[in-house]
Amino acid sequence: MRWLAAFVALAAAAFFLGDYHNDVYRKMLLWVMLALGYNFLFGICGQIAFSHFAFYGIGAYSVVILLFQLNVPLPLAILLGVAVCVVVALAVAIPSTRLEGFYLALATLALAQLFVVVLNEGGAVTGGTGGIANYRLPPIFGFQLRGPWYTAVIVFVLLMTLWILIKLDRSWFGRACRAVRDNPEAAAAMGIDVARTKVIAFTVTSALAGVAGMTYAFVDNTVNPPIFGLDNAFLLLFMVIVGGSGRHAGAAIGAVLLFLLPFWLSPLVGHHHVLVFGVLMLAAILLQPKGLIGLWDRYSR
Amino acid sequence: MRDFLELAVSATASGCVYGLIALAYLLMIRPTGIINFAVGEWAMVAAFGGYVFLTKYELHYLLGMGIVLAFMLVVGWVSERIAVRPLVEKGTAILAPILALLGVLVITREIISISFPPDPLPVPYPFELQHQKYFIIGVTAVVFLGFWAFFEKTLWGKSFEAVALNRRAAALMGINLSRVTAFSFAGGAAVAGLGGLLVSPNISAHYLMGVPLAIQGFTALVIGGVGRVEGALIGGLLLAFAEQLTIRYAPIPSGFAQGVPLLFLMIFLIVRPTGLLRARA
Repeated sequence: MRWLAAFVALAAAAFFLGDYHNDVYRKMLLWVMLALGYNFLFGICGQIAFSHFAFYGIGAYSVVILLFQLNVPLPLAILLGVAVCVVVALAVAIPSTRLEGFYLALATLALAQLFVVVLNEGGAVTGGTGGIANYRLPPIFGFQLRGPWYTAVIVFVLLMTLWILIKLDRSWFGRACRAVRDNPEAAAAMGIDVARTKVIAFTVTSALAGVAGMTYAFVDNTVNPPIFGLDNAFLLLFMVIVGGSGRHAGAAIGAVLLFLLPFWLSPLVGHHHVLVFGVLMLAAILLQPKGLIGLWDRYSR
Repeated sequence: MRDFLELAVSATASGCVYGLIALAYLLMIRPTGIINFAVGEWAMVAAFGGYVFLTKYELHYLLGMGIVLAFMLVVGWVSERIAVRPLVEKGTAILAPILALLGVLVITREIISISFPPDPLPVPYPFELQHQKYFIIGVTAVVFLGFWAFFEKTLWGKSFEAVALNRRAAALMGINLSRVTAFSFAGGAAVAGLGGLLVSPNISAHYLMGVPLAIQGFTALVIGGVGRVEGALIGGLLLAFAEQLTIRYAPIPSGFAQGVPLLFLMIFLIVRPTGLLRARA
Protein backbone atom coordinates (compact mmCIF):
# COMPACT_ATOMS: atom_id res chain seq x y z
CA MET A 1 0.00 0.00 0.00
CA ARG A 2 2.80 2.38 0.88
CA TRP A 3 4.51 1.37 -2.35
CA LEU A 4 1.35 2.20 -4.31
CA ALA A 5 1.09 5.60 -2.62
CA ALA A 6 4.75 6.30 -3.40
CA PHE A 7 4.19 5.29 -7.02
CA VAL A 8 1.15 7.53 -7.41
CA ALA A 9 2.85 10.49 -5.74
CA LEU A 10 6.11 10.22 -7.71
CA ALA A 11 4.37 9.52 -11.02
CA ALA A 12 1.73 12.23 -10.55
CA ALA A 13 4.47 14.82 -10.05
CA ALA A 14 5.49 14.26 -13.67
CA PHE A 15 2.08 15.40 -14.95
CA PHE A 16 2.50 18.84 -13.34
CA LEU A 17 5.89 19.48 -14.91
CA GLY A 18 6.65 21.04 -18.27
CA ASP A 19 8.68 19.22 -20.91
CA TYR A 20 12.03 20.52 -19.73
CA HIS A 21 11.42 19.87 -16.05
CA ASN A 22 9.99 16.48 -16.85
CA ASP A 23 13.27 15.63 -18.56
CA VAL A 24 15.30 16.81 -15.55
CA TYR A 25 12.97 14.89 -13.23
CA ARG A 26 13.39 11.65 -15.18
CA LYS A 27 17.15 11.89 -15.16
CA MET A 28 17.12 12.58 -11.46
CA LEU A 29 15.03 9.43 -10.91
CA LEU A 30 17.52 7.44 -12.99
CA TRP A 31 20.43 8.73 -10.92
CA VAL A 32 18.59 7.78 -7.74
CA MET A 33 18.06 4.30 -9.20
CA LEU A 34 21.77 3.96 -9.99
CA ALA A 35 22.84 5.33 -6.61
CA LEU A 36 20.57 2.87 -4.77
CA GLY A 37 22.12 -0.09 -6.58
CA TYR A 38 25.63 1.26 -6.16
CA ASN A 39 24.98 1.84 -2.49
CA PHE A 40 24.15 -1.85 -2.07
CA LEU A 41 27.42 -2.82 -3.73
CA PHE A 42 29.64 -0.21 -2.12
CA GLY A 43 27.89 0.83 1.07
CA ILE A 44 26.40 -2.47 2.17
CA CYS A 45 28.79 -5.00 0.64
CA GLY A 46 31.91 -2.79 0.87
CA GLN A 47 33.22 -3.26 -2.67
CA ILE A 48 34.59 -0.44 -4.79
CA ALA A 49 33.71 -0.84 -8.45
CA PHE A 50 33.83 1.69 -11.26
CA SER A 51 31.75 -0.34 -13.66
CA HIS A 52 28.27 0.51 -12.41
CA PHE A 53 27.85 3.23 -14.99
CA ALA A 54 29.35 1.00 -17.70
CA PHE A 55 26.63 -1.56 -16.96
CA TYR A 56 24.07 1.23 -17.29
CA GLY A 57 25.53 1.73 -20.75
CA ILE A 58 25.68 -1.98 -21.53
CA GLY A 59 21.98 -2.26 -20.66
CA ALA A 60 21.05 0.74 -22.80
CA TYR A 61 23.10 -0.34 -25.81
CA SER A 62 22.02 -3.99 -25.55
CA VAL A 63 18.34 -3.22 -25.62
CA VAL A 64 18.67 -0.75 -28.50
CA ILE A 65 20.83 -3.09 -30.59
CA LEU A 66 18.59 -6.08 -29.89
CA LEU A 67 15.40 -4.18 -30.68
CA PHE A 68 16.36 -2.22 -33.74
CA GLN A 69 19.24 -4.08 -35.36
CA LEU A 70 18.29 -7.67 -34.59
CA ASN A 71 14.53 -7.02 -34.45
CA VAL A 72 14.03 -8.95 -31.22
CA PRO A 73 10.62 -8.38 -29.55
CA LEU A 74 10.69 -6.06 -26.49
CA PRO A 75 10.19 -8.56 -23.61
CA LEU A 76 12.86 -10.88 -25.02
CA ALA A 77 15.19 -7.92 -25.65
CA ILE A 78 14.89 -6.89 -22.00
CA LEU A 79 15.65 -10.41 -20.78
CA LEU A 80 18.60 -10.79 -23.14
CA GLY A 81 19.91 -7.37 -22.08
CA VAL A 82 19.87 -8.46 -18.45
CA ALA A 83 21.57 -11.71 -19.46
CA VAL A 84 24.38 -9.75 -21.19
CA CYS A 85 24.95 -7.70 -18.01
CA VAL A 86 25.01 -10.84 -15.86
CA VAL A 87 27.53 -12.62 -18.10
CA VAL A 88 29.89 -9.61 -18.25
CA ALA A 89 29.55 -9.07 -14.49
CA LEU A 90 30.40 -12.70 -13.72
CA ALA A 91 33.38 -12.65 -16.07
CA VAL A 92 34.82 -9.64 -14.22
CA ALA A 93 33.83 -10.53 -10.67
CA ILE A 94 34.84 -14.18 -10.43
CA PRO A 95 38.59 -13.60 -10.97
CA SER A 96 38.67 -10.23 -9.16
CA THR A 97 37.05 -11.34 -5.92
CA ARG A 98 39.25 -14.40 -5.44
CA LEU A 99 41.71 -12.17 -3.62
CA GLU A 100 41.62 -9.84 -0.68
CA GLY A 101 41.96 -6.20 -1.54
CA PHE A 102 40.81 -3.90 -4.25
CA TYR A 103 41.36 -5.88 -7.41
CA LEU A 104 37.71 -5.45 -8.34
CA ALA A 105 38.20 -1.69 -8.38
CA LEU A 106 40.98 -1.93 -10.94
CA ALA A 107 39.35 -4.63 -13.05
CA THR A 108 36.16 -2.59 -13.25
CA LEU A 109 38.10 0.61 -13.96
CA ALA A 110 39.68 -1.18 -16.91
CA LEU A 111 36.29 -2.56 -17.96
CA ALA A 112 34.70 0.90 -17.88
CA GLN A 113 37.56 2.31 -19.94
CA LEU A 114 37.35 -0.56 -22.41
CA PHE A 115 33.58 -0.23 -22.75
CA VAL A 116 33.87 3.30 -24.13
CA VAL A 117 36.57 2.13 -26.54
CA VAL A 118 34.36 -0.71 -27.76
CA LEU A 119 31.49 1.74 -28.31
CA ASN A 120 33.70 4.06 -30.33
CA GLU A 121 35.26 1.29 -32.42
CA GLY A 122 32.13 -0.80 -32.78
CA GLY A 123 31.35 0.34 -36.34
CA ALA A 124 27.82 -0.28 -37.56
CA VAL A 125 26.81 -2.31 -34.49
CA THR A 126 27.28 0.46 -31.93
CA GLY A 127 27.14 3.35 -34.36
CA GLY A 128 30.72 4.42 -33.54
CA THR A 129 31.32 7.85 -32.03
CA GLY A 130 27.89 9.10 -33.05
CA GLY A 131 26.07 6.28 -31.28
CA ILE A 132 22.55 5.23 -32.24
CA ALA A 133 19.67 7.67 -32.48
CA ASN A 134 16.25 8.13 -34.07
CA TYR A 135 14.52 5.12 -32.64
CA ARG A 136 11.38 4.99 -30.60
CA LEU A 137 9.97 2.75 -27.88
CA PRO A 138 7.82 0.06 -29.54
CA PRO A 139 4.14 0.24 -28.54
CA ILE A 140 3.27 -1.84 -25.45
CA PHE A 141 -0.15 -3.54 -25.79
CA GLY A 142 -0.91 -1.04 -28.51
CA PHE A 143 -0.07 2.02 -26.38
CA GLN A 144 2.67 4.42 -27.34
CA LEU A 145 4.11 5.54 -24.00
CA ARG A 146 5.47 9.06 -24.03
CA GLY A 147 5.83 12.21 -21.94
CA PRO A 148 4.70 11.86 -18.31
CA TRP A 149 3.43 8.34 -18.99
CA TYR A 150 6.95 7.17 -19.70
CA THR A 151 8.07 8.93 -16.51
CA ALA A 152 5.56 6.69 -14.71
CA VAL A 153 7.37 3.68 -16.17
CA ILE A 154 10.65 5.04 -14.79
CA VAL A 155 9.04 5.54 -11.37
CA PHE A 156 7.82 1.95 -11.53
CA VAL A 157 11.29 0.60 -12.35
CA LEU A 158 12.81 2.77 -9.61
CA LEU A 159 10.40 1.47 -6.98
CA MET A 160 10.95 -2.08 -8.19
CA THR A 161 14.71 -1.60 -7.81
CA LEU A 162 14.26 -0.17 -4.33
CA TRP A 163 11.92 -3.03 -3.36
CA ILE A 164 14.39 -5.68 -4.55
CA LEU A 165 17.26 -3.98 -2.72
CA ILE A 166 15.33 -3.60 0.54
CA LYS A 167 14.22 -7.25 0.38
CA LEU A 168 17.81 -8.33 -0.29
CA ASP A 169 19.14 -6.08 2.46
CA ARG A 170 16.77 -7.51 5.05
CA SER A 171 17.33 -11.13 4.06
CA TRP A 172 20.20 -13.36 5.21
CA PHE A 173 22.03 -12.23 2.09
CA GLY A 174 22.03 -8.57 3.16
CA ARG A 175 23.38 -9.52 6.57
CA ALA A 176 26.03 -11.68 4.91
CA CYS A 177 27.03 -8.67 2.78
CA ARG A 178 27.39 -6.42 5.82
CA ALA A 179 29.41 -9.10 7.61
CA VAL A 180 31.72 -9.39 4.60
CA ARG A 181 32.13 -5.61 4.53
CA ASP A 182 32.89 -5.25 8.22
CA ASN A 183 35.16 -8.23 8.71
CA PRO A 184 35.74 -10.80 5.96
CA GLU A 185 37.66 -13.18 8.23
CA ALA A 186 34.91 -13.24 10.85
CA ALA A 187 32.28 -13.67 8.12
CA ALA A 188 34.17 -16.63 6.69
CA ALA A 189 34.47 -18.10 10.17
CA MET A 190 30.69 -17.89 10.52
CA GLY A 191 30.31 -20.00 7.40
CA ILE A 192 29.68 -17.27 4.84
CA ASP A 193 31.25 -17.88 1.45
CA VAL A 194 32.93 -14.47 1.11
CA ALA A 195 33.89 -14.69 -2.56
CA ARG A 196 30.46 -15.97 -3.58
CA THR A 197 28.68 -13.25 -1.61
CA LYS A 198 30.78 -10.59 -3.33
CA VAL A 199 30.21 -12.07 -6.79
CA ILE A 200 26.44 -12.28 -6.27
CA ALA A 201 26.21 -8.73 -4.90
CA PHE A 202 28.24 -7.40 -7.83
CA THR A 203 26.21 -9.33 -10.40
CA VAL A 204 22.81 -8.38 -8.99
CA THR A 205 23.62 -4.68 -8.70
CA SER A 206 25.21 -4.67 -12.17
CA ALA A 207 22.08 -6.25 -13.63
CA LEU A 208 19.95 -3.58 -11.88
CA ALA A 209 22.20 -0.91 -13.39
CA GLY A 210 21.58 -2.56 -16.76
CA VAL A 211 17.83 -2.33 -16.25
CA ALA A 212 18.18 1.35 -15.36
CA GLY A 213 20.15 1.78 -18.58
CA MET A 214 17.36 0.14 -20.58
CA THR A 215 14.86 2.64 -19.23
CA TYR A 216 17.30 5.43 -19.98
CA ALA A 217 17.57 4.31 -23.62
CA PHE A 218 14.07 5.69 -24.28
CA VAL A 219 14.45 8.91 -22.32
CA ASP A 220 16.59 10.74 -24.85
CA ASN A 221 16.00 8.19 -27.62
CA THR A 222 19.72 8.21 -28.31
CA VAL A 223 22.70 6.33 -26.93
CA ASN A 224 26.26 7.50 -27.58
CA PRO A 225 29.71 6.94 -26.03
CA PRO A 226 30.23 10.27 -24.18
CA ILE A 227 27.16 9.62 -21.97
CA PHE A 228 28.73 6.50 -20.50
CA GLY A 229 32.21 7.86 -19.74
CA LEU A 230 34.21 7.20 -16.62
CA ASP A 231 33.46 10.57 -14.98
CA ASN A 232 29.96 9.46 -14.13
CA ALA A 233 31.29 6.36 -12.38
CA PHE A 234 33.14 8.63 -9.97
CA LEU A 235 30.10 10.85 -9.59
CA LEU A 236 28.08 7.83 -8.46
CA LEU A 237 30.64 7.01 -5.79
CA PHE A 238 30.57 10.61 -4.59
CA MET A 239 26.76 10.62 -4.42
CA VAL A 240 26.73 7.57 -2.18
CA ILE A 241 29.52 8.84 0.10
CA VAL A 242 28.16 12.39 0.44
CA GLY A 243 24.62 11.12 1.05
CA GLY A 244 25.64 8.41 3.48
CA SER A 245 26.89 5.00 2.39
CA GLY A 246 25.09 1.89 3.56
CA ARG A 247 21.70 3.60 3.81
CA HIS A 248 19.09 3.63 1.04
CA ALA A 249 17.84 7.06 2.09
CA GLY A 250 21.40 8.35 2.16
CA ALA A 251 22.11 7.19 -1.37
CA ALA A 252 18.86 8.77 -2.60
CA ILE A 253 19.61 12.09 -0.90
CA GLY A 254 23.16 12.12 -2.24
CA ALA A 255 21.94 11.40 -5.76
CA VAL A 256 19.29 14.13 -5.70
CA LEU A 257 21.67 16.68 -4.19
CA LEU A 258 24.62 16.04 -6.48
CA PHE A 259 22.35 15.82 -9.52
CA LEU A 260 20.68 19.16 -8.79
CA LEU A 261 23.79 20.95 -7.50
CA PRO A 262 25.23 21.72 -10.98
CA PHE A 263 22.00 23.56 -11.89
CA TRP A 264 22.52 25.94 -8.97
CA LEU A 265 26.29 26.06 -9.22
CA SER A 266 26.63 26.70 -12.94
CA PRO A 267 26.16 30.50 -12.65
CA LEU A 268 28.98 30.51 -10.07
CA VAL A 269 31.54 28.02 -11.32
CA GLY A 270 30.49 27.18 -14.89
CA HIS A 271 31.29 23.61 -15.85
CA HIS A 272 33.68 23.02 -12.99
CA HIS A 273 31.16 21.61 -10.54
CA VAL A 274 33.14 18.32 -10.44
CA LEU A 275 35.77 20.19 -8.42
CA VAL A 276 33.09 21.08 -5.89
CA PHE A 277 32.00 17.42 -5.81
CA GLY A 278 35.57 16.30 -5.14
CA VAL A 279 35.90 18.75 -2.25
CA LEU A 280 32.50 17.71 -0.84
CA MET A 281 33.44 14.05 -0.99
CA LEU A 282 36.82 14.62 0.67
CA ALA A 283 35.13 16.71 3.37
CA ALA A 284 32.54 13.97 3.91
CA ILE A 285 35.19 11.29 4.41
CA LEU A 286 37.35 13.41 6.69
CA LEU A 287 34.63 15.08 8.75
CA GLN A 288 31.40 13.14 8.43
CA PRO A 289 32.00 9.54 7.30
CA LYS A 290 28.30 8.72 7.67
CA GLY A 291 27.38 11.39 5.14
CA LEU A 292 24.41 13.75 5.18
CA ILE A 293 22.12 11.09 6.56
CA GLY A 294 24.47 10.82 9.54
CA LEU A 295 24.13 14.58 10.10
CA TRP A 296 20.36 14.23 9.94
CA ASP A 297 20.43 11.43 12.51
CA ARG A 298 22.46 13.56 14.88
CA TYR A 299 20.16 16.58 14.70
CA SER A 300 16.88 14.69 14.75
CA ARG A 301 17.86 12.93 17.95
CA MET B 1 63.77 -8.40 -38.32
CA ARG B 2 64.57 -4.70 -38.27
CA ASP B 3 60.88 -4.10 -37.86
CA PHE B 4 60.79 -6.43 -34.88
CA LEU B 5 63.82 -4.78 -33.27
CA GLU B 6 62.18 -1.38 -33.52
CA LEU B 7 59.06 -2.82 -31.95
CA ALA B 8 61.13 -4.37 -29.17
CA VAL B 9 62.80 -1.03 -28.36
CA SER B 10 59.55 0.90 -28.29
CA ALA B 11 57.86 -1.84 -26.22
CA THR B 12 60.76 -1.74 -23.76
CA ALA B 13 60.42 2.03 -23.48
CA SER B 14 56.69 1.96 -22.78
CA GLY B 15 57.21 -1.02 -20.49
CA CYS B 16 59.63 1.15 -18.50
CA VAL B 17 56.95 3.82 -18.10
CA TYR B 18 54.41 1.23 -16.90
CA GLY B 19 57.07 -0.14 -14.58
CA LEU B 20 57.61 3.31 -13.06
CA ILE B 21 53.88 3.74 -12.42
CA ALA B 22 53.77 0.22 -10.94
CA LEU B 23 56.73 1.14 -8.72
CA ALA B 24 54.83 4.22 -7.52
CA TYR B 25 51.90 2.01 -6.49
CA LEU B 26 54.27 -0.45 -4.86
CA LEU B 27 56.09 2.20 -2.81
CA MET B 28 52.78 3.16 -1.20
CA ILE B 29 51.13 -0.27 -0.97
CA ARG B 30 54.08 -2.01 0.70
CA PRO B 31 54.25 -0.01 3.92
CA THR B 32 50.62 1.17 4.16
CA GLY B 33 48.38 -1.26 2.25
CA ILE B 34 46.81 1.73 0.51
CA ILE B 35 46.16 1.50 -3.22
CA ASN B 36 46.45 5.05 -4.47
CA PHE B 37 44.58 5.41 -7.75
CA ALA B 38 45.82 8.99 -8.02
CA VAL B 39 49.23 7.86 -9.39
CA GLY B 40 47.92 8.31 -12.92
CA GLU B 41 46.89 11.89 -12.11
CA TRP B 42 50.29 12.51 -10.55
CA ALA B 43 51.93 11.40 -13.80
CA MET B 44 49.59 13.84 -15.55
CA VAL B 45 50.53 16.71 -13.20
CA ALA B 46 54.22 16.10 -13.91
CA ALA B 47 53.54 16.11 -17.65
CA PHE B 48 51.93 19.55 -17.28
CA GLY B 49 54.91 20.57 -15.16
CA GLY B 50 57.06 19.55 -18.11
CA TYR B 51 54.96 21.76 -20.37
CA VAL B 52 55.28 24.76 -18.04
CA PHE B 53 59.01 24.55 -17.31
CA LEU B 54 60.35 23.02 -20.53
CA THR B 55 58.03 24.32 -23.26
CA LYS B 56 56.93 27.65 -21.84
CA TYR B 57 60.00 28.79 -19.87
CA GLU B 58 62.41 26.72 -21.98
CA LEU B 59 64.59 25.68 -19.06
CA HIS B 60 67.42 23.21 -19.57
CA TYR B 61 65.91 19.72 -19.57
CA LEU B 62 67.68 18.43 -16.48
CA LEU B 63 66.95 21.60 -14.50
CA GLY B 64 63.26 21.50 -15.51
CA MET B 65 63.07 17.82 -14.65
CA GLY B 66 64.61 18.50 -11.24
CA ILE B 67 62.08 21.24 -10.49
CA VAL B 68 59.15 19.06 -11.59
CA LEU B 69 60.30 16.10 -9.49
CA ALA B 70 60.85 18.31 -6.44
CA PHE B 71 57.35 19.67 -6.95
CA MET B 72 55.99 16.12 -7.15
CA LEU B 73 57.63 15.25 -3.82
CA VAL B 74 55.67 18.14 -2.32
CA VAL B 75 52.44 17.04 -4.05
CA GLY B 76 52.80 13.52 -2.64
CA TRP B 77 53.61 14.80 0.83
CA VAL B 78 50.68 17.25 0.86
CA SER B 79 48.27 14.54 -0.37
CA GLU B 80 49.40 12.27 2.43
CA ARG B 81 48.97 15.08 4.97
CA ILE B 82 45.45 15.94 3.79
CA ALA B 83 43.92 12.63 2.81
CA VAL B 84 45.80 9.88 4.61
CA ARG B 85 47.30 10.93 7.91
CA PRO B 86 44.15 12.32 9.61
CA LEU B 87 42.32 9.08 8.79
CA VAL B 88 45.14 6.77 9.85
CA GLU B 89 45.43 8.68 13.13
CA LYS B 90 41.69 8.27 13.67
CA GLY B 91 42.14 4.55 13.16
CA THR B 92 39.62 4.16 10.32
CA ALA B 93 39.49 1.14 8.02
CA ILE B 94 41.90 1.13 5.11
CA LEU B 95 39.02 1.90 2.74
CA ALA B 96 38.67 5.49 4.02
CA PRO B 97 42.09 6.79 2.89
CA ILE B 98 41.67 5.00 -0.46
CA LEU B 99 38.38 6.86 -1.00
CA ALA B 100 39.86 10.13 0.24
CA LEU B 101 42.64 9.72 -2.33
CA LEU B 102 39.99 9.25 -5.02
CA GLY B 103 38.68 12.65 -3.96
CA VAL B 104 42.23 14.01 -4.29
CA LEU B 105 42.40 12.42 -7.75
CA VAL B 106 39.31 14.24 -8.97
CA ILE B 107 40.33 17.54 -7.36
CA THR B 108 43.79 17.30 -8.95
CA ARG B 109 42.36 16.60 -12.38
CA GLU B 110 39.85 19.43 -12.15
CA ILE B 111 42.47 21.95 -11.02
CA ILE B 112 44.62 21.00 -14.02
CA SER B 113 41.69 21.14 -16.44
CA ILE B 114 40.72 24.60 -15.14
CA SER B 115 44.26 25.93 -15.26
CA PHE B 116 45.26 24.80 -18.74
CA PRO B 117 43.64 24.87 -22.18
CA PRO B 118 41.79 21.64 -23.05
CA ASP B 119 43.95 20.68 -26.05
CA PRO B 120 46.96 18.38 -25.69
CA LEU B 121 50.04 20.48 -24.89
CA PRO B 122 53.51 19.67 -26.27
CA VAL B 123 56.41 18.69 -24.04
CA PRO B 124 59.88 18.70 -25.68
CA TYR B 125 62.23 15.77 -26.03
CA PRO B 126 65.38 15.95 -23.90
CA PHE B 127 67.54 15.08 -26.90
CA GLU B 128 66.66 14.29 -30.46
CA LEU B 129 63.53 12.34 -31.19
CA GLN B 130 65.17 9.00 -31.97
CA HIS B 131 67.04 8.91 -28.66
CA GLN B 132 63.95 9.41 -26.48
CA LYS B 133 63.30 5.68 -26.09
CA TYR B 134 66.86 5.00 -24.96
CA PHE B 135 66.62 7.95 -22.57
CA ILE B 136 63.48 6.46 -21.00
CA ILE B 137 65.12 3.04 -20.70
CA GLY B 138 68.30 4.49 -19.17
CA VAL B 139 66.53 6.69 -16.62
CA THR B 140 64.22 3.84 -15.60
CA ALA B 141 67.16 1.48 -15.16
CA VAL B 142 68.88 4.01 -12.89
CA VAL B 143 65.70 4.54 -10.82
CA PHE B 144 65.08 0.82 -10.36
CA LEU B 145 68.72 0.14 -9.49
CA GLY B 146 68.56 2.98 -6.99
CA PHE B 147 65.41 1.69 -5.30
CA TRP B 148 66.69 -1.87 -5.33
CA ALA B 149 69.90 -0.78 -3.61
CA PHE B 150 67.87 1.38 -1.20
CA PHE B 151 65.69 -1.52 -0.09
CA GLU B 152 68.44 -4.13 -0.04
CA LYS B 153 71.43 -2.23 1.27
CA THR B 154 70.40 0.68 3.49
CA LEU B 155 69.01 0.73 6.99
CA TRP B 156 66.28 3.11 5.82
CA GLY B 157 65.19 0.66 3.16
CA LYS B 158 65.16 -2.14 5.70
CA SER B 159 62.88 -0.10 7.95
CA PHE B 160 60.44 0.27 5.01
CA GLU B 161 60.50 -3.51 4.60
CA ALA B 162 59.94 -3.98 8.30
CA VAL B 163 56.85 -1.76 8.17
CA ALA B 164 55.61 -3.69 5.14
CA LEU B 165 55.98 -7.00 6.94
CA ASN B 166 54.45 -6.03 10.25
CA ARG B 167 53.39 -2.50 11.20
CA ARG B 168 52.96 -3.14 14.89
CA ALA B 169 56.26 -4.93 15.32
CA ALA B 170 58.04 -2.22 13.31
CA ALA B 171 56.52 0.50 15.47
CA LEU B 172 57.61 -1.35 18.61
CA MET B 173 61.16 -1.54 17.24
CA GLY B 174 61.22 2.24 17.18
CA ILE B 175 60.49 2.89 13.51
CA ASN B 176 58.53 6.11 13.00
CA LEU B 177 55.47 4.89 11.08
CA SER B 178 54.13 8.26 10.03
CA ARG B 179 57.52 9.29 8.70
CA VAL B 180 57.76 6.10 6.62
CA THR B 181 54.23 6.74 5.28
CA ALA B 182 55.06 10.36 4.40
CA PHE B 183 58.23 9.30 2.58
CA SER B 184 56.47 6.53 0.70
CA PHE B 185 53.84 8.99 -0.61
CA ALA B 186 56.41 11.64 -1.52
CA GLY B 187 58.54 9.00 -3.25
CA GLY B 188 55.53 7.47 -4.98
CA ALA B 189 54.48 10.84 -6.36
CA ALA B 190 58.00 11.58 -7.62
CA VAL B 191 58.31 8.18 -9.33
CA ALA B 192 54.83 8.46 -10.90
CA GLY B 193 55.71 12.00 -11.96
CA LEU B 194 58.92 10.79 -13.57
CA GLY B 195 56.89 8.25 -15.54
CA GLY B 196 54.51 10.97 -16.69
CA LEU B 197 57.33 13.33 -17.64
CA LEU B 198 59.13 10.64 -19.65
CA VAL B 199 56.04 9.58 -21.59
CA SER B 200 54.70 13.11 -22.17
CA PRO B 201 56.77 14.01 -25.28
CA ASN B 202 55.17 11.06 -27.09
CA ILE B 203 51.54 11.52 -26.05
CA SER B 204 51.50 15.25 -25.09
CA ALA B 205 50.24 16.59 -21.78
CA HIS B 206 46.49 16.14 -21.54
CA TYR B 207 44.25 16.17 -18.49
CA LEU B 208 42.74 12.78 -19.37
CA MET B 209 46.06 10.96 -19.74
CA GLY B 210 46.05 9.74 -16.13
CA VAL B 211 43.46 6.96 -16.05
CA PRO B 212 44.98 4.75 -18.79
CA LEU B 213 48.40 5.04 -17.11
CA ALA B 214 46.86 4.16 -13.75
CA ILE B 215 45.29 1.02 -15.25
CA GLN B 216 48.41 -0.06 -17.11
CA GLY B 217 50.63 0.54 -14.10
CA PHE B 218 48.39 -1.45 -11.81
CA THR B 219 48.20 -4.32 -14.31
CA ALA B 220 52.01 -4.33 -14.42
CA LEU B 221 52.00 -4.52 -10.64
CA VAL B 222 49.58 -7.47 -10.60
CA ILE B 223 51.69 -9.29 -13.20
CA GLY B 224 54.95 -8.73 -11.32
CA GLY B 225 53.56 -9.09 -7.82
CA VAL B 226 53.61 -6.50 -5.04
CA GLY B 227 56.37 -8.27 -3.13
CA ARG B 228 59.50 -7.02 -4.88
CA VAL B 229 60.75 -3.92 -6.66
CA GLU B 230 61.96 -5.88 -9.72
CA GLY B 231 58.44 -7.29 -10.16
CA ALA B 232 57.10 -3.87 -11.13
CA LEU B 233 59.60 -3.53 -13.98
CA ILE B 234 59.16 -7.10 -15.24
CA GLY B 235 55.38 -6.72 -15.14
CA GLY B 236 55.57 -3.43 -17.05
CA LEU B 237 57.80 -4.92 -19.75
CA LEU B 238 55.61 -8.02 -20.20
CA LEU B 239 52.48 -5.88 -20.46
CA ALA B 240 54.05 -3.50 -22.98
CA PHE B 241 55.28 -6.36 -25.19
CA ALA B 242 51.86 -8.01 -25.09
CA GLU B 243 50.21 -4.71 -26.05
CA GLN B 244 52.60 -3.86 -28.89
CA LEU B 245 52.56 -7.38 -30.34
CA THR B 246 48.76 -7.34 -30.27
CA ILE B 247 48.60 -4.01 -32.09
CA ARG B 248 51.21 -5.10 -34.62
CA TYR B 249 50.11 -8.64 -35.45
CA ALA B 250 46.49 -9.11 -34.38
CA PRO B 251 43.86 -8.02 -36.91
CA ILE B 252 41.83 -5.80 -34.56
CA PRO B 253 41.38 -1.99 -34.39
CA SER B 254 44.21 -0.37 -32.43
CA GLY B 255 41.76 1.07 -29.89
CA PHE B 256 41.16 -2.44 -28.62
CA ALA B 257 44.77 -2.60 -27.43
CA GLN B 258 43.34 -0.89 -24.34
CA GLY B 259 41.64 -4.21 -23.66
CA VAL B 260 44.99 -6.00 -23.30
CA PRO B 261 45.59 -4.82 -19.70
CA LEU B 262 42.11 -5.98 -18.67
CA LEU B 263 42.69 -9.37 -20.28
CA PHE B 264 46.08 -9.70 -18.58
CA LEU B 265 44.63 -8.62 -15.26
CA MET B 266 41.96 -11.32 -15.48
CA ILE B 267 44.37 -14.06 -16.59
CA PHE B 268 46.85 -13.30 -13.84
CA LEU B 269 44.19 -13.03 -11.16
CA ILE B 270 42.94 -16.49 -12.14
CA VAL B 271 46.23 -18.27 -12.83
CA ARG B 272 48.80 -16.60 -10.62
CA PRO B 273 47.26 -14.16 -8.13
CA THR B 274 50.53 -13.56 -6.27
CA GLY B 275 52.28 -12.30 -9.40
CA LEU B 276 55.38 -13.70 -11.05
CA LEU B 277 57.80 -12.88 -8.25
CA ARG B 278 57.16 -13.91 -4.69
CA ALA B 279 58.09 -11.71 -1.75
CA ARG B 280 61.23 -12.76 0.09
CA ALA B 281 60.55 -14.40 3.41
